[in-house]
Amino acid sequence: MHTNTPELRDKTIYGVVAEFDQPSKLVAAGRVVHHEHGYTKLDAISPFPVHGIDDAIGVPRSILGYIIFCCGSIGFISVASLIYWAGGISYKLVIGGKPLFAWEPSIPPIFEGTILFSAFAAVFGMFAINKLPQFYHPVFNYERFGVATDDRYLLVVEASDPKFDIVDTQRLLESLGAKHTEVVEA
Amino acid sequence: MIQIKTKQTGKKYWRSLDQLAQTPAFMEWLHREFPSSAEEVIDGASRRNVLKLMAASFGLAGLTACRRPVEHILPNVKGVEDYIPGKPYFYATAMVHNGVAQGLLAEVNDGRPTKIEGNPEHPFSLGAANVFQQAAILGLYDPDRARSPRQDGKDVDWKVLDDALKTLSGSLGQGDGLRFLSESVTSPSFAAVQAAALAKFPKAKWIQYDAISQDEVRAGSQLAFGQQLVVRPRFDKAKVILALDSDFLGLDADTVLSVKEFSRGRKVAAETDEMSRLYVVESRFSTTGATADHRIKMRASEIKAFVSDLAAALKVGGNELKVVGQGDKKSKWIEAVAKDLGANRGKGLVVAGPRQPAAVHAMVHLINQALGNAGETVTYYKSTLEQTRPQLEAIAELAGELSKGQVSTLVILGGNPAYSAPVDLDLAANIKKVATSIYVGLDVDETAVACKWSIAEAHFLESWGDALAPDGTATIQQPMIAPLYYGRTQAEIVAALTGYKDQRPYDIVRNYWTAKFAKGDADKLWRHALHDGVIPNTTFAEVKPVVDAKKVNGAIQPAAQSASGMELVFTPNWATWDGRFANNGWLQEIPEPMSKITWDNAALVSPATAKQLGLSTHGWMVKGYKATDTEGHSDPTQAGNFVDMIQIEVDGRTLEAPVFVQPGQADGSITLALGYGRTECGHVAKGAGVNAYKLRTSKAPWIVADAKVSKIAKQYQIVQTQEHGTMEDRPLLRESTLAEYRKEPNVIKEMLEVPELVGLYGDWDYSKGNQWGMTIDLNACVGCNACTIACQAENNIPIVGKDQVNRGREMHWIRMDRYFVGDEEEPQAVMSPVPCMQCETAPCENVCPVAATTHSPEGLNDMAYNRCVGTRYCSNNCPYKVRRFNFLAWNYGTPEVEMMKFNPDVTVRMRGVMEKCTYCVQRIQETKIQAKLEGHRPIKDGEIQTACQQTCPADAIVFGNINDPNSGVSKLKKQKRNYGMLEELNTKPRTTYLAKLRNTNEELEAKHG
Amino acid sequence: MADLAVRNDPHVRPRLVEGDPSLHQVTEAVSSIIETRTPYSWWIAIAITASIAGVLKLCLGWLVYNGIGVWGNNQPIAWAWDITNFVFWIGIGHAGTLISAILFLFRQKWRTSINRFAEAMTLFAVACAGIFPLFHTGRPWRAYWLFPVPNTDLYMWPNFRSPLVWDVFAVSTYATVSALFWYVGLVPDLATIRDRAKTKGRKIAYGVLSLGWRGSARHWRNYEMAYLVLAGISTPLVLSVHSVVSFDFAASLLPGWHTTIFPPYFVAGAIFSGFAMVVTLMVVARWVFKVEHLVTMKHLENMNKIMLATGTVVGYAYASEFFIAWYSGNPYEKFTFLNRAFGPYWWAYTLMVSCNVISPQFFWFKKLRTSIPFMFVISLVVNVGMWFERFVIIGTSLHRDFMPSAWGYYHPTIIDMLTFFGTFGLFLTLFLLFLRFLPMIAVSEVKGMMATQKMHDAHLEAVAQAVEH
Repeated sequence: MHTNTPELRDKTIYGVVAEFDQPSKLVAAGRVVHHEHGYTKLDAISPFPVHGIDDAIGVPRSILGYIIFCCGSIGFISVASLIYWAGGISYKLVIGGKPLFAWEPSIPPIFEGTILFSAFAAVFGMFAINKLPQFYHPVFNYERFGVATDDRYLLVVEASDPKFDIVDTQRLLESLGAKHTEVVEA
Repeated sequence: MIQIKTKQTGKKYWRSLDQLAQTPAFMEWLHREFPSSAEEVIDGASRRNVLKLMAASFGLAGLTACRRPVEHILPNVKGVEDYIPGKPYFYATAMVHNGVAQGLLAEVNDGRPTKIEGNPEHPFSLGAANVFQQAAILGLYDPDRARSPRQDGKDVDWKVLDDALKTLSGSLGQGDGLRFLSESVTSPSFAAVQAAALAKFPKAKWIQYDAISQDEVRAGSQLAFGQQLVVRPRFDKAKVILALDSDFLGLDADTVLSVKEFSRGRKVAAETDEMSRLYVVESRFSTTGATADHRIKMRASEIKAFVSDLAAALKVGGNELKVVGQGDKKSKWIEAVAKDLGANRGKGLVVAGPRQPAAVHAMVHLINQALGNAGETVTYYKSTLEQTRPQLEAIAELAGELSKGQVSTLVILGGNPAYSAPVDLDLAANIKKVATSIYVGLDVDETAVACKWSIAEAHFLESWGDALAPDGTATIQQPMIAPLYYGRTQAEIVAALTGYKDQRPYDIVRNYWTAKFAKGDADKLWRHALHDGVIPNTTFAEVKPVVDAKKVNGAIQPAAQSASGMELVFTPNWATWDGRFANNGWLQEIPEPMSKITWDNAALVSPATAKQLGLSTHGWMVKGYKATDTEGHSDPTQAGNFVDMIQIEVDGRTLEAPVFVQPGQADGSITLALGYGRTECGHVAKGAGVNAYKLRTSKAPWIVADAKVSKIAKQYQIVQTQEHGTMEDRPLLRESTLAEYRKEPNVIKEMLEVPELVGLYGDWDYSKGNQWGMTIDLNACVGCNACTIACQAENNIPIVGKDQVNRGREMHWIRMDRYFVGDEEEPQAVMSPVPCMQCETAPCENVCPVAATTHSPEGLNDMAYNRCVGTRYCSNNCPYKVRRFNFLAWNYGTPEVEMMKFNPDVTVRMRGVMEKCTYCVQRIQETKIQAKLEGHRPIKDGEIQTACQQTCPADAIVFGNINDPNSGVSKLKKQKRNYGMLEELNTKPRTTYLAKLRNTNEELEAKHG
Repeated sequence: MADLAVRNDPHVRPRLVEGDPSLHQVTEAVSSIIETRTPYSWWIAIAITASIAGVLKLCLGWLVYNGIGVWGNNQPIAWAWDITNFVFWIGIGHAGTLISAILFLFRQKWRTSINRFAEAMTLFAVACAGIFPLFHTGRPWRAYWLFPVPNTDLYMWPNFRSPLVWDVFAVSTYATVSALFWYVGLVPDLATIRDRAKTKGRKIAYGVLSLGWRGSARHWRNYEMAYLVLAGISTPLVLSVHSVVSFDFAASLLPGWHTTIFPPYFVAGAIFSGFAMVVTLMVVARWVFKVEHLVTMKHLENMNKIMLATGTVVGYAYASEFFIAWYSGNPYEKFTFLNRAFGPYWWAYTLMVSCNVISPQFFWFKKLRTSIPFMFVISLVVNVGMWFERFVIIGTSLHRDFMPSAWGYYHPTIIDMLTFFGTFGLFLTLFLLFLRFLPMIAVSEVKGMMATQKMHDAHLEAVAQAVEH
């Protein structure tokens, strides 16, 4: 239990990481830290999505849905207009005595175009919002980070949090049943 | 790709091919195009590929350049006199076929003849041409042709030959032991050379022999009239026609005129129109039989009895009507026909085929005279080139002399007798006994190999000559191109040998005629003769002979028929004729009209006979989806087309032949086509069919009374372009009877009940400008295939070879459909060309992913070859299945010399693209440009002719602007007979059909329900 | 099996994970497969499959060099094995996305153990399918003209009315979306592998592939949203793909093709064959890699049930085609179907019906549908049958259509056969690579599922005690 040591104080600190062995404990601890002690700069790290953690530590709703909708619409419009322009304006050809443009035969390509654009938006939008790829992150400095993608659950309190105190915060987390806590450098 | 290649090699071409052949570039290209291993894997021993390979590799030797003839010939173009590069010219010429000449026009592009058309000004062509004439272009450029003189099998220089001929002609003396063997001489100028030769060498003899000879016809005339006369039937004037074993619309037609005239009598515009009636009695199911209103199958050897019975029924023959078993089919038939003929005195016509004995011909003359048809529907001419001696007799005598070694010098002029002469004469061996034997021929064939000397002959498109039409009308045969291999004409050789006053072919022909012309304007008349392709007032004198009834009746006494024995009948064939066209790929691949066999001949037998012989009987009339019909006939589609083989024995000589079961074939009668099974031949002909000449003796050149036939334990793969014989009760090719049509003109339309057809979208507006359309008159069509080959020549359509045809990859843009109708006992058939229908709502266009096939404003279903990626979806969605796909690189490695055949106005398609009929869009464009140059004048009706339409002897195909109410095609489309094939699919085809009508005789009506 | 008693107890639903392993054990079980030294058997296997794939390459080379003529295609059968193989593979490629998307939306927890596996199979099947539309063209080097790119020499566009162009859109979209879906699912597991990696090479490789994923709550938030949406759009997509493929036929006018029932009929068939293929592969894989406790009998049984259902739907489609052919009174239709069943191709038709309609009916019996060897055989039989279904539809409709004069018959060449054979080489090669380098089971999803199942178990115990008192 090495805490408020001089050499630590000199270093820039990213925050404190607490390790839990049950998702329920993680959620409980998160709720206490966020709602009762008013910490805001929190993050939770788990091998699979833990339900309830979002409102426990106050993660905002995802805006991904709106992005996907916009891109999907763009896909719809661009394919539709491509077909109209190609057949009806750019290169007019009489084919089987059919009109130069008609909706019926255009539905499949338009549909597929819409899907494609939406899918791209969903995936790359998600990566963008999550700021991925991001090959360095301070939390990786947590020496036992590996367990977080296996069967442990981490609660992270960032040093930038106004209420952050290198000693109290750590104590608080330990009191909430963390199996192990550690100060992580930036 | 291939276009570019053509251009490159084209450029090289004008220099020297020998050079080109050596260049590493070419060799490299050659090997790239034909990896020999590839050939095997792709399509086994495809004859076409072998040809490609061989011909391309050595087919170039000897050819130097394309040179215009040095003499002055005249183009048959109206207006423009001087030559414009890239503009085709048409020259009048003629082709001799079956002993008579037919006038032609040859289209010449930049000095290369590329297309043959009929000469509209020639009385026996009237603008039409048949398959053999259409295919002559390919024959001209055949890379396997003889290219130089050969002495004892080795090529020698022309100089060597000339010297040899000089010394030989000096040593001939009186002409002892000098023999000339030629085909029938049909050229007046050549006849003059012949006469001069015989005058100079009085002891020499000149024998004329044709494999397909008219001996019996001549003998018949001799018997009936006591003199040799040319018989000229006029099928357009006849109301009732009886054909006795006469395929006058097919193989027995010496010119296309018989079809032309016959079809005139069959055209029905209004319901009230008259129409001739055709009865056919024959052993083989011919196209004539298929066209007939009433047909009865009969062994060829029974025709004699039939005709005498008919005569009796008509009370013209002296003898009594002795048809056994009254009321049987045959006698009912005879009565009905006799009554019909009797009722149409002077408007009837009886004709007999050349295979029938003299007595039959004689009796036919008697009947025609008795019925007052002579002079009306049939006229007689006195030929100036008559042959008094029966050809068989003459050649038999020659063979005797040869074997006895009485002949020192034998000059054979064409005809390949070593192959085609009666087998018992053993000519091939006997020729070898002659000290000096000289052969003049197009190919290095069986005779060339047998002779000491063989001389490359000039093709008729390369040489000056003249020839007579059946009625004596003379035509000058102009060369379109100087001999590609320095070939000589027959006249030229004889002239050299006999020191004739004129030596050059041009002089021989010109001097002969100018001597005949009125002194002053000989030159003018000569120029006219060249220009028109016809020399006026050269027809034979018409005579009105009298038949010696007694002699005829004496001769007709029918010998007791042994109905037991199996009869064997020889015929010429649609591909190689008598064997001379064997190396012509276009002809080899064209399906035989009735059996649809390509690349082979087969012994045709009736289903009953097949059963009797214990042969597997393919049910060409199998109906429905089942694999076999009730009789157990298997559908050839599933049988893999493997047929049984039989051994035929005639006087100890045997031949193994594949059997083809042909409905409508007379029971107990086998038909075997001559002209196949060539041994010394080009690469196309190799292995095609069996050689029927091996059974053909001088005793029975046409009909073998009883041949011994036995099944052997072998099978053979027969390849057809159409395997299913029945129409499955679908109203595809519609037919009715004239009587019914008169009663209820809508009968044709009512054959199909369709609800009102409405498209999802409105129709496209085609009411403006030229809108092209076509009609095909099934009543006129005789299924002669001329359109298919004309299309092939015009549109650079490749051949694919037997193996690929077997895989269903033939490329003909026009598929000649043949369906059997009626019962298997006495079947009828209906035939029709099926090109692209140019549907207004074309299903093929909708499904093409790259818009390679689209609609032109003039209603054509255009095909953009360079846009096609080859998904073949269009073909799947084409209900008519008229699209053709380049499954392999058919055109790669076309030998240089053969490339000269290509029509420069049409793309040569590369592999991997779809192709199809486009109404000869290149011709449409050409005319439109012309019209534009002449101040945007409207295009006249009939000004544009599609290739198929132009050559069609029956005028069954009419093309034109359907927006012009007065155009021929619009008028035809207004007819009640007009219908669209599969119109129920709402494809709105631009090509429509005029239904077939059979002018049936009520008394025989019952026969065909 | 240990929990047989549990499964037979009516109160207790069989577990999706057997033996109640800890989360860490799950991670071990899956990760260790790709962390241990490569076994020789793998090298042997891939050597074989790769050489079969080589045969495919040779055949395609030969095809491009000589032209379509090296196949047996002809007039009128312009499409034959080429398009048959295309539809066959694209059909197999339907199970994956269906499992990941539709079952996800239906909250079918059991999917988690097999979806990764099935998605991989989908991708590889689509890769095999994609070969044929490209190489069946006469001029494959021009095939890019089917895409809406203004090509340089003609300045033309594709004909958007053509079902083949719809195909291009549908299949390429499907391939792309499936790949994305698959990758998104992989990212968290790749992170797990990364964090377990010992060697520098693996650290870097998996580090890059996992994009620096760290399982933060914010990540998971967006991740789940993305996954949900992907599932949402993939569901209509997967249904549309085979519908569009069926349009290739339904939109034509050929009797036997021109049928409105095709879209649902084809989709059912696709799911049918797809699941059959998953079972075939899964039965082998779970045994080889000792993951029977993660991919349990329940998974297999559920897939067999789906095969039973879809197989029956397909049977219904066959029947209704015949009924309509008769009921429509259209002579061409009538002929086509009689010809299909009793004509020259009767053998193919019989094979198709017995394999596709009759064989799955055995799955009505629990004993059979839970017998590993039996389901393995049936799954193979079903895929044979589904190949023949496509061949029957294409071949028999084309070989005898409107014009008897143009009727024909089709004989495959050796190149036809080797080409098809070769695609299996490609398919299996890709699969072996997948099994070697990527987690074959969606670890994070299984863990998530286990967490919830634990709660469910706790509830069960409570119930049990209540019953006792």
